[in-house]
Amino acid sequence: MKHRLAPLLIILSLIFISSATACSIGSKKPSTLIYGLTLAPSGIDPHLNASSELGIPLASVYDTLIFRDPKTGEFVPGLSESWSISPEGLVYTFYLRHDVTFHDGTPFNAQAVEANLDYVMNPDHHSQKARFMLGSFQDVEIIDDYTVALHLSEPFAPLLDSLSDVYLGMASPTALETWGPTEYQFHQVGTGPYRFDEYIPNDKITLSHNPDYAWAPSIYENSKAQIETIVFQFYQDPATRAIALESGEVDIIGEVPTHDASRFDVSTEFNLYPIPIPGQPMQFFFNTRRAPTDDVRVRLALMYAVNRPQAVKTIFDVFSPVAQSPFLASFFDLEPQEPFPPYDPDTASALLDEAGWKITGDDNLRSSNGVPLELLIVAPPWGSNPEMAQLIQADWEAIGARVTLEIAPGFGPLKEAQTKGDYHAIGINFFGTDPDILRSFYTSTGLYNWSGFEDPEIDQLLTQAAQIPIDLEARLQLYEQFSSRVRDEGLVLPIRNYVNLVAVNNQVEGLHFTAQGWYPILIDLQMAP
Amino acid sequence: MVSHSDRPSNGALATVSRRVIEGALTAWAAVSLTFFALRLIAGDPVASLLSQGLASPDQVEGLRRSLGLDAPLIVQYLKFLGGIFRGDLGTSLYTGRPVSTVITEQLPATAQLALTGLGFALLIGLTLGVISAWKENTSLGQLAASTAGLATALPIAFTGILGLIMYRQLSGLMPILGYGTLRRLILPASLLGFASAGAIARVVQAGLKETMKGPYILAARARGIGYGFRLLWHALRPALPPVVSLMALEAAFLFAGTVVTETVFSRPGLGRLLVTSILQGDYPIAQGLVALAAIFYTTSHMLADILAFTIDPRLRRVT
Repeated sequence: MKHRLAPLLIILSLIFISSATACSIGSKKPSTLIYGLTLAPSGIDPHLNASSELGIPLASVYDTLIFRDPKTGEFVPGLSESWSISPEGLVYTFYLRHDVTFHDGTPFNAQAVEANLDYVMNPDHHSQKARFMLGSFQDVEIIDDYTVALHLSEPFAPLLDSLSDVYLGMASPTALETWGPTEYQFHQVGTGPYRFDEYIPNDKITLSHNPDYAWAPSIYENSKAQIETIVFQFYQDPATRAIALESGEVDIIGEVPTHDASRFDVSTEFNLYPIPIPGQPMQFFFNTRRAPTDDVRVRLALMYAVNRPQAVKTIFDVFSPVAQSPFLASFFDLEPQEPFPPYDPDTASALLDEAGWKITGDDNLRSSNGVPLELLIVAPPWGSNPEMAQLIQADWEAIGARVTLEIAPGFGPLKEAQTKGDYHAIGINFFGTDPDILRSFYTSTGLYNWSGFEDPEIDQLLTQAAQIPIDLEARLQLYEQFSSRVRDEGLVLPIRNYVNLVAVNNQVEGLHFTAQGWYPILIDLQMAP
Repeated sequence: MVSHSDRPSNGALATVSRRVIEGALTAWAAVSLTFFALRLIAGDPVASLLSQGLASPDQVEGLRRSLGLDAPLIVQYLKFLGGIFRGDLGTSLYTGRPVSTVITEQLPATAQLALTGLGFALLIGLTLGVISAWKENTSLGQLAASTAGLATALPIAFTGILGLIMYRQLSGLMPILGYGTLRRLILPASLLGFASAGAIARVVQAGLKETMKGPYILAARARGIGYGFRLLWHALRPALPPVVSLMALEAAFLFAGTVVTETVFSRPGLGRLLVTSILQGDYPIAQGLVALAAIFYTTSHMLADILAFTIDPRLRRVT
């Protein structure tokens, strides 16, 4: 009898495993929506942290002084009913709504605006983004309880755009004061259509609807939120995102990999929303400080050598347009007068020949005065940059270059490689609704001037464009001149415009996004009956 | 009366104190290595912090100064070591929160996963080991042995996704990603346990084969005790000490395994915290985690040694 013990043990363990796995099927309340996020940010206080991800929930927790219409790019009233800009662009006066209260009951007024700007500007708080979005902002003047003026030291055209972004969303001064810069992220209080309930790092963020919301801006279709609770969960591994949606784990999920997206696109159960993200395209800067890319003919040749449409199709299928400008927002396209070089290996070869890089031996390798044509590409690890860099590598090898590819594992190492300076092409791109971010990338002293190009004309165009706060048309003209110069000098190889592939189960209705592209307008979401 | 070799305490004490010193040195080496390696690999944390392209070069320098990252590396290192001795792991560069708080928040999720994983590893490992020893020459035994081999060979990144897909097909769309309920724990924990089970199974199998040859087994057989009972009672117990030692190694393996498991199953926890903090250059958190891991690793090794002494008196003489 005793030898029955072992089989018994095995059977018991099997029963344990199967019973444990088979227990209770989750029941989800109909008015709860689960939203799948991707990377879990290190901190989620928009005033201090910089992740794009944090705005997905928080853009509905906060209202901003003004909002930006996603279709026209126009600014529309938010917490501020109207505003005026002094002719020289140094004073912005905001006339605030009188009827707004924060989720904690604190009234919204001029003092609240001041408290927010102080919180962001405090150097001890180490704000990573919001502070810099304020540019030349100097101080706040409280004119009366509901009128506030922002003073600048010099004109700063992107200010209205900055004030319409979640990073400068208005937070309850009481909560800011109570919790301080390290703990406020767990206790956020805004005036938006959703209240902030809970944040558990790396796990979830929970929002619940704000029944008192009565100051919806015109970009919202609904005046009150329809879904009671929205839970945001993080799905860091791209391979699990589609599984999460298909298993009913989430109702909406962003940044779905291309091959899963094609499946959702034709599915009847799910819908796919390809959402264009304004800002710079996926791109590679040429290093103008280092031979052979210090020669404009070589840079242009390398651009002609890359079959961009095919590369984009290979990696992003039909969902991403091939980039034709160094910056794109639906209302701000900076296309140069002459388009960026199309795929034309013959022109590429001719240009290289002209620059003295000729094929001498029979190994299809170009050289000049005995120096072989060797190139180093440094690519960041995110957003299919490594795959794209491989295709570029192949195209450049096809015209007779020897190409090394280095993938930097994170932003720090990428910056390190850039500082070392021995690259010929390096990938980096930022998102944003205002083209002023280009100043960091193309002016001589810009922090991200990774092409190392120093050009008084570009410096002047970009500095001037940053100082025209009102006349959008005049700004655009300067940026178009700038684009043409970038194209003619072959400073950057633009690849594709960024598109966030958002997949949704078909019970979710009303999904649309703010001007920044990333943030869904949660107040308009509803579940089909 | 009592012979020298029968007094366990001296030898054991010497071993334990030697282990403590070794452990402390190992922990120090690991922590120092991490400190310098992170700076080599992850680059400038200030660049990562301000990676949104809006700050001016002056502002970057200002932030570097205010975070104390402009001090010479050796000064930063001594400050960090001093902090550890005071039990202060510093604060996160991104949020300014104390590293100890950030780690404590994520600890329960990982502890839950790793401990359940360890349970599964034992359960699966012992089962496979016993079957493969018991039914050595049958197809069942072969199956158990090759399953154990597979368990060692397959990485969690693979079994994790495979498990997810199979589970989804079998169970009819039940959510299993994320954190919170028992249901969400079983699949990742069992896959994590499965990955560690192979080594346990092999040690159990080898141990059983060895001990079954012992004279006491023959004696037991002579007393008419059945094969299964002989195997599970008389032979298994002496085969266990190596398993206990192995468990200490597995504990470290399990912690490493949580890095992948937590990412695949979208769970919070220390593994994921480690990956994010390294990628973003949040040094204080990465350093704190490695310091704790080193302490945990050396402590679990020490405990395993002490446990092995308890189970197997023979070891007490061999110091």
